[in-house]
Amino acid sequence: MTLVIIRTAIVFITLLVIMRLMGKRQIGEMQPFELVITLLIAELACIPMADTSIPLLYGIISVVTIYILHEIVTLLDLKIKPLKSFISGKPSLVMNKNGIDDYQLKRNNLDVSDLIESLRTAGYFSLDCIDYALYESNGTFSALPKENYEKMQSSLPIVIIDNGTYDEKNLTLTGLGREFFDGILREHGVKKVKRVLVLTADGEGKMYLQQKGERCETFYVKYPDGMTW
Amino acid sequence: MGKESGRGAKGTVHMVKSLVAIGVAAAMLLGLAVFEWFFVEEEFSAFREELISLYDKTDGGTANAEDARVVQGKWEDRKERLHIWIPHNDIARIDEYMAETVRLIGEEEYTLALPKLEVLIHLSECLPGTYKPAAENIF
Repeated sequence: MTLVIIRTAIVFITLLVIMRLMGKRQIGEMQPFELVITLLIAELACIPMADTSIPLLYGIISVVTIYILHEIVTLLDLKIKPLKSFISGKPSLVMNKNGIDDYQLKRNNLDVSDLIESLRTAGYFSLDCIDYALYESNGTFSALPKENYEKMQSSLPIVIIDNGTYDEKNLTLTGLGREFFDGILREHGVKKVKRVLVLTADGEGKMYLQQKGERCETFYVKYPDGMTW
Repeated sequence: MGKESGRGAKGTVHMVKSLVAIGVAAAMLLGLAVFEWFFVEEEFSAFREELISLYDKTDGGTANAEDARVVQGKWEDRKERLHIWIPHNDIARIDEYMAETVRLIGEEEYTLALPKLEVLIHLSECLPGTYKPAAENIF
């Protein structure tokens, strides 16, 4: 029984550390330790129930051990600040008024398209309508939009350049060639496409451009032949 | 102000409740663990003594089926209590060797029964150790 208690504690701590190392993407609206408990408790309860060679007491003991660990982790999480950030992680400011924070994205194993997708899920379709975006410790996104942001997203922006690479599929969707966007980049002082962190374009000609390590800029262009989407 | 101090008091009560729950659950686990430790050791120690006595008789050629069945009967009682605490596969291993020993002694095949008894004595010596918190058992 002592063995079961020690083994449960070791597996719990290992899973918690691994979950924290894997980052927030694996979590999905739970704190890391809550996910670990969810993962463990079903197995712990099921195995002794189905396998008659294991005394049922072993299952009960491991579940009680998990309960104790949960209570201890919850207390530490609430009472000791440095441990809270270790156990649950802390939110990352992935976007501010200067644009996307590439470093924070990389730290959280995200790329620009992940950020855009998550923001769309949160109801924000245009990058320029957001002042701040946070990647919460439970893996969800929160954003502080600009005033009247709803008026700013009248057309769906699509990603043209993602981390220095043209998105060929989206390029085809726009019906515009690389040359068109290369010209726009030149006009805005971009020497190489590889320097572009993100370029989005919406159907009304609004573009959001951010070079790596620089401030974002929003501007309007006219599409050839008055085209739109 | 009053509301805030009320909330603070509730928080403290909740924390105390958590600490009490942790303490009670931990004490329960620790108590069970200590009990298991001594209980399993005690049961196997008594079983080992019975086996050694049967071994001596078998070695001297004086053991009969009745002696073997008495040891088996005591093991049967003991295993009902042990089932709660130890893996059932370990109990099954002892059951098999015990049944073979009883048959061999009943047929007066003492030279064949002795190795079975040696295995049983060895199991009764080493099994309690496999439930103790040692590195080789944990990992």
